Amino acid sequence: MPKHVAVIMDGNRRWAKNRGLPVKQGHKAGGQVLKQLATYFKNYGVKVLTVFAFSTENWFRPKEEVDSLMKLFEEGTENDVRISIMGNISSLPKSLRNRIYSVQKRSEANKGLHLVTALNYSGRYDITEATKKIAGKVKDGIFQVKDIDEALFEQHLATHGIEFPNPDLLIRTSGELRVSNFMLWQLAYTELFFVDKLFPDIDEADIVEALTAFQRRQRRYGGHKY
Amino acid sequence: MPSVLKSNNVLLGSSWHALAILGLSRSGDLGLRLLWHIMHLIVSIWYFVLGLTNTLESFFISSGLFKRYRCLDISKVQYLAVVIDSEEARETLKVLELLRWLAAIGVLKKSKEALTLWLKSERMSKETTGDQLFEQKYMSLEVISFSDSKHAVAKAANFLFKKHYLSANTEKPKLTEPDMADALEALGYGALEPDLMLIYGPARCHLGFPAWRIRYTEMVHMGPLKSMKFGAIIKAIHRFTTVHQNYGT
Repeated sequence: MPKHVAVIMDGNRRWAKNRGLPVKQGHKAGGQVLKQLATYFKNYGVKVLTVFAFSTENWFRPKEEVDSLMKLFEEGTENDVRISIMGNISSLPKSLRNRIYSVQKRSEANKGLHLVTALNYSGRYDITEATKKIAGKVKDGIFQVKDIDEALFEQHLATHGIEFPNPDLLIRTSGELRVSNFMLWQLAYTELFFVDKLFPDIDEADIVEALTAFQRRQRRYGGHKY
Repeated sequence: MPSVLKSNNVLLGSSWHALAILGLSRSGDLGLRLLWHIMHLIVSIWYFVLGLTNTLESFFISSGLFKRYRCLDISKVQYLAVVIDSEEARETLKVLELLRWLAAIGVLKKSKEALTLWLKSERMSKETTGDQLFEQKYMSLEVISFSDSKHAVAKAANFLFKKHYLSANTEKPKLTEPDMADALEALGYGALEPDLMLIYGPARCHLGFPAWRIRYTEMVHMGPLKSMKFGAIIKAIHRFTTVHQNYGT
């Protein structure tokens, strides 16, 4: 069973548009599905669930969408879910930042599923930030130039500190066959599973299919059998 | 997905849920173990049927029986990436056959040079010809390996440190994504982002293709290299040329 599953939650807006509903209904429906997914994955033994909410390229989201997500997190803290946010939080509105810090603090002792949400995040942003941190530490004398390698890089990515930092399985909805600037470094050996449904339409059967596909593949990392 | 198989998936879902809750992996309940194996058998049969269907479809596409695949607009595929599992890449003849197919489709310039390049495992510099139209029409072959990926990013970080941080100025510069892109370019790792990626191997993952370059690359898993089909390549390229990409809208 995968230890870390990542999900690109694509299609909430189109789902609402297809039904002639306001966009916020799509996000509400997506939020309910996310809650269900967290339960499914927890039951299947997955330890970490990372979801891609907003990228640095399309961050300008309406308040309802953001509020919907924050409400979900706050409910999650009461269900033994540990909430973490990764991304450029510093550029978010102060009130939102405070809510994020509060949710993270309240849930840090939870032992259940670790739900990591990528907000205002992109893979390139992650790599660039890691570069800045490393360069700054070399400047400060903490590391030397010769220490800069892949292992050091991994220690400075947004996923450092997560028990299983690299996803074993990525599920992307809405039929798009790409990762859309999500966890570019971390997805090197991640099983990619693309679902031809909008996010609010996915159900347990799709999750089972994804998990089964993960289990069936013979997995190798750079020539070593896994 | 056919409705019968869809309903099977619902059955699988419910059964899987029950198994997970009961902790099948740790319990010794024979009945549940049997159910687990039955589930995997059903899924295996489904994938077998799917494989047969795909083989038949590839044959029909290669034979030109499907009208829509006859006229392929490859102009939309400016950069095609092909990722091959390291074990399977040793099947040199299969790799060469793949390159010949890509040349036949028109996405590869000349197969002879590509074959030579492959055997030498060297990077090919862009060919220059006097014919500008010819150069625009075809693509060159770039051969890369794992060292062009994460290792390249680490080298870029090294480069940026030396360029921006070594001065006596104590203030830390604000590095941006364009700075990173420029560093990779300066070090020779700044090639274009592929539009489409064909992945050959047992696992559906991009095997560490340069991370910086795959933001919006369409990724298609083609299965093992030994089972590669010309029709499957045509289908993948055709699908790409007709897809509408959404960018957060």
